[in-house]
Amino acid sequence: MNNTAVATKRHASLSLILVYIFVVLALIWAVVPLIWMILSSLKTQAGMFSMPPKFFFKPTFQTYHIMFSSTGHFGHYLLNSVLASVGSTLISLVLGTLGGWAIARGNFKREKDISFWVISTRMAPIPAVMLPLYLLFSKLGLIGTMVGLIFAYTTFNLPFALWIMMTFFKDIPPALEEAAMVDGCTKFRAFYRVTLPMAAPGLVATGILCLMFAWNDYAFASVFTSTASQTVPVAASLLVSQQGIQWGQAMSTGTVIMAPMVIAGLFVRKYLVRGLSMGAVK
Amino acid sequence: MATKLSETETITPVAQPKKARQKSANITERWMLMPSVILLAIISFIPLFYMIYSSFMNYMINPDQPTFYHFHNWAVTFHDSAFWLSWGRTATYAISGLVLEFLLGTALALAIYRLPWGQNIVTTIWMLPLFVAPIVTGLLGRFLVNSTYGLYAWVLQLLGVHTEILGNTLTAMPALILMDMWEWTPLITIIVLAGLQAMPEEPLEAADVDGAHYWDKLRYVILPLIARPLLVAVLVRSMDILRYVDTIMITTEGGPADATKTIGYYLVQIAFQFQDFGRAAAVGLTMLVITILIGQLFVRAFTRGEQQ
Amino acid sequence: MKSKRLTLAASAVLGTTLLVAGCGNTSGNASSGSNTTSSKVDASQQIAAPFQGAVAGLPQITAPKGFNWKQYSGTTLNMITENTPPSSALAENIKEFEDVTGITVNIEQADLSTVAQKVALDFQAKSDKYQLIYADPYQMLAKYSYDYLDLNQFINDKSLPPVPGGLSDFIQSQLMVDGYMGTKDHLYALPYDTPTMVLVYRKDIFDNPKYKSLFQKENGFDWTPGPNLTWEKYLTIEKWINKEVKAGVITGVQYGAGEQAKEYDSLQCDFSDVLAAYGGDYFSAPNLGSIGTTTPGKSLMDSKQAIAAATIYKQIVDNAAPGSTSWDWNGLGEAFAAGDVAMAPEWHEFASTFENPSKSKVAGNVGYAILPKGPVRSANIFGGTGLAISKYATPEQQKAAWLFEVWATSPQAQYMILKSKDGGETPTRTSVYNLPEIQKGMTPGTPESKAMPNLLSMNATLQAWKAQNVYMRPKIPQWPQVDNIVFTQLSDMLANKQTPAQAMQNIATQSNQVTGN
Repeated sequence: MNNTAVATKRHASLSLILVYIFVVLALIWAVVPLIWMILSSLKTQAGMFSMPPKFFFKPTFQTYHIMFSSTGHFGHYLLNSVLASVGSTLISLVLGTLGGWAIARGNFKREKDISFWVISTRMAPIPAVMLPLYLLFSKLGLIGTMVGLIFAYTTFNLPFALWIMMTFFKDIPPALEEAAMVDGCTKFRAFYRVTLPMAAPGLVATGILCLMFAWNDYAFASVFTSTASQTVPVAASLLVSQQGIQWGQAMSTGTVIMAPMVIAGLFVRKYLVRGLSMGAVK
Repeated sequence: MATKLSETETITPVAQPKKARQKSANITERWMLMPSVILLAIISFIPLFYMIYSSFMNYMINPDQPTFYHFHNWAVTFHDSAFWLSWGRTATYAISGLVLEFLLGTALALAIYRLPWGQNIVTTIWMLPLFVAPIVTGLLGRFLVNSTYGLYAWVLQLLGVHTEILGNTLTAMPALILMDMWEWTPLITIIVLAGLQAMPEEPLEAADVDGAHYWDKLRYVILPLIARPLLVAVLVRSMDILRYVDTIMITTEGGPADATKTIGYYLVQIAFQFQDFGRAAAVGLTMLVITILIGQLFVRAFTRGEQQ
Repeated sequence: MKSKRLTLAASAVLGTTLLVAGCGNTSGNASSGSNTTSSKVDASQQIAAPFQGAVAGLPQITAPKGFNWKQYSGTTLNMITENTPPSSALAENIKEFEDVTGITVNIEQADLSTVAQKVALDFQAKSDKYQLIYADPYQMLAKYSYDYLDLNQFINDKSLPPVPGGLSDFIQSQLMVDGYMGTKDHLYALPYDTPTMVLVYRKDIFDNPKYKSLFQKENGFDWTPGPNLTWEKYLTIEKWINKEVKAGVITGVQYGAGEQAKEYDSLQCDFSDVLAAYGGDYFSAPNLGSIGTTTPGKSLMDSKQAIAAATIYKQIVDNAAPGSTSWDWNGLGEAFAAGDVAMAPEWHEFASTFENPSKSKVAGNVGYAILPKGPVRSANIFGGTGLAISKYATPEQQKAAWLFEVWATSPQAQYMILKSKDGGETPTRTSVYNLPEIQKGMTPGTPESKAMPNLLSMNATLQAWKAQNVYMRPKIPQWPQVDNIVFTQLSDMLANKQTPAQAMQNIATQSNQVTGN
């Protein structure tokens, strides 16, 4: 081995150590709050507030017990969250895929303007559009209903889904569709049979992100829901009351809000990563 | 938008016959786009026209019967120093947040890519904060830095730092930026990492002896590959960082001494605390215009970048 | 969104709006109650209502003879309220009301700003989504009084159940604030809850003979909180405890005092106590804080009194626990419960938290007193709210809502709320405080005080409610903006961005702009 090779190797292993340190630090920064949230949710109120913090303690599931007891209505809120976010995600994906493909393939004269207009509908500052949307929803009888909440979530998910699907479709060469059409397929069939399967990872990634935006929403849910249609993030915000914050409940609620998204995210992680790099993977 | 290039690039051989057929065949596309356009039109035009109307009305004397107010709401908005100061803070918040997220996210993607094993598990763990609702992030942040019982506050106290992080004008804004970074840096990381992993042949580490080569590769090979998802991510993030205030609402509520009052929170105060719907409309329209300009800027920059 | 780009089928938009309207889901509030008329009602005879939980010694809920409590059976009422203990207690016991009347009540709870926001939006839409409204005097009553029903129409209707015990059983100053706006011609709400700021302090510190005599020797006065304490002395005590904690002499606390000085409503409340104690007030109009006014007059915040109050308030916060500038009443409550601070101005109903050993390290060691006085008086800010009925409800819903209002604000319901397991709220009714059992509960150590820990703060709170001690902030339609100006400027002052005099001057100038003076 000559000197340069040794030096290079040493250099490489040194930089690898730095990489390890960096990654480990990053992971600590990412997970400590989450671990702390879960640990705190298992503590008694007094245990949560002890200073210095307690790292070892006898866990109690009291907060979870309260959450899912009959007075908590938490299961109900959870169901609302699922319905609203899944509903809006499905609508957004279906319409967004159709629309995204149409913009990508169609030869619209003002294509740039249309596509920018689409994404611009997601830009409106929420507090300012709350009044007109509330009046509109109120006229339609949608306030406090599940349909209303799904509609509200679609206002931010549809532009997102449409736009991101459009960028994916642009990366899939139309040549294959053309070929299918030569074989006698209709345009829609060609899209459905040929292009759509190719866009599957992108579709999953988009779906997960839409689901996440809806699941985590507070701004819309806090105004457009009532007791019967309340979602989990709104329930979490209610733990900040005039008589103090119920931290134990807040921590367990936070854990429960996070859990389904994490599980869903883990299952489709591969798709999420592949989907987000559609251009690179093709 | 990146349409021109990608079309000419990918479909050159068939482009001619396709175009010829377009006029009649566009029917299918029109029908497919129609439902989205109608839905989006409802949720954008009705609020937009209503906002324009409201911005000229006075809701303050009798909110039930607003009266015509000329340009008063606009004048008040533009004369309010708090409005401009809020924009300044928003710029700090959004720019430093996005830039740091971009740098840290990319750096971490490169680091993870260099790991000989465990890339998936590391990515998975790193991704977790992405799934936390912003309102929970705020609650959690508040819980961690509280000087009475917070874990982070305790660590800082061990290091000799005795300050209330969210109660101090110097630390409140950085704390909020850090909360945003905690939640959203992983998005940048997974996008960049996806680009790296999709790289064919010539693993990147082989090139890292030659620093220039490494960066060139990043710049000219990987970046274009991930440019589109990255653009979407940055665009959506910059939109949301302006309009979402969940975290601020649950932590500082704009304080102390307005240190964290961004334009989003300024609007929340006018719309929801004062219930001055007229002024809120004026502020909201201003925000909309700025957001659109920023969006155009991103899209233009992206289109130019791709054409290089 | 340039308009020339928006060539996309504007007519289609309208078409679809109608289409969607067709499939619109109605929220199911429409009442379908029976049309029983109360024709055979004999107003000269009152009969006790069939509600559970009547308490001997309290005015009963009654109705004229022949009144059919079930006549609105099948009606659904939606109540929107802040997520406070009385609301939870009512929600838990709502079956008692539903069983008697057949009316269904959904109690929707949210934080106060969300409640204000939803109510404002709902009034704009003139919808009947909420029939019962938690009408905060400052955010929801002053500005929207014409959206509420005048309750006098029910009180004067002899065929309906009267207010049990009459209006005179409410604590009168609270009835003025919660119920009226501008004049006494219309009664919009009945008092529902009563939080009031008092001084909470650590008895284990203040009654410790060693600390007490040390302090007396060094400063020449008795430090026991009570009617003789002044804000100046409060500052001295605060500094002295800080010093002795550092020296290791005092243990068990970290700081002398804590304040709720977050840039938020709490900062304005915390400061108002000092402001009024120094003889200051926000505006010049009479009845500013009681029945309220739409014309507050000139701001008085550039007065000598206001500047003196701001000057000492700044010193108090400067010497308080450093967390104070990030604490609202919750944060302060947590710090006090954790044993961090020796004394603090806090809402009296926090007693139930402080006395609960599972939530508080200082349970059993907490003393309550009226707030320190300034050169003029002791001023304890009141933060109660009334329950109102929306004008947009259908006539049937309105009457059903009245039945609910009668029940929910009755002495027996107030008593029930007080006894509920979460500590509840303290009653709005004089008659409840006159019960021997409640009187006993105000003394520490009695079994009644264990069952109703909120009562431990009531000796101080009843003092605080006296006309000479209570402070009512301005009840004006512009209050949300003025409140914002006040806490923003104060927060700037506390961050040393401006002097107390500048802060007060800014508050005066900006308040005058808002009120048009």
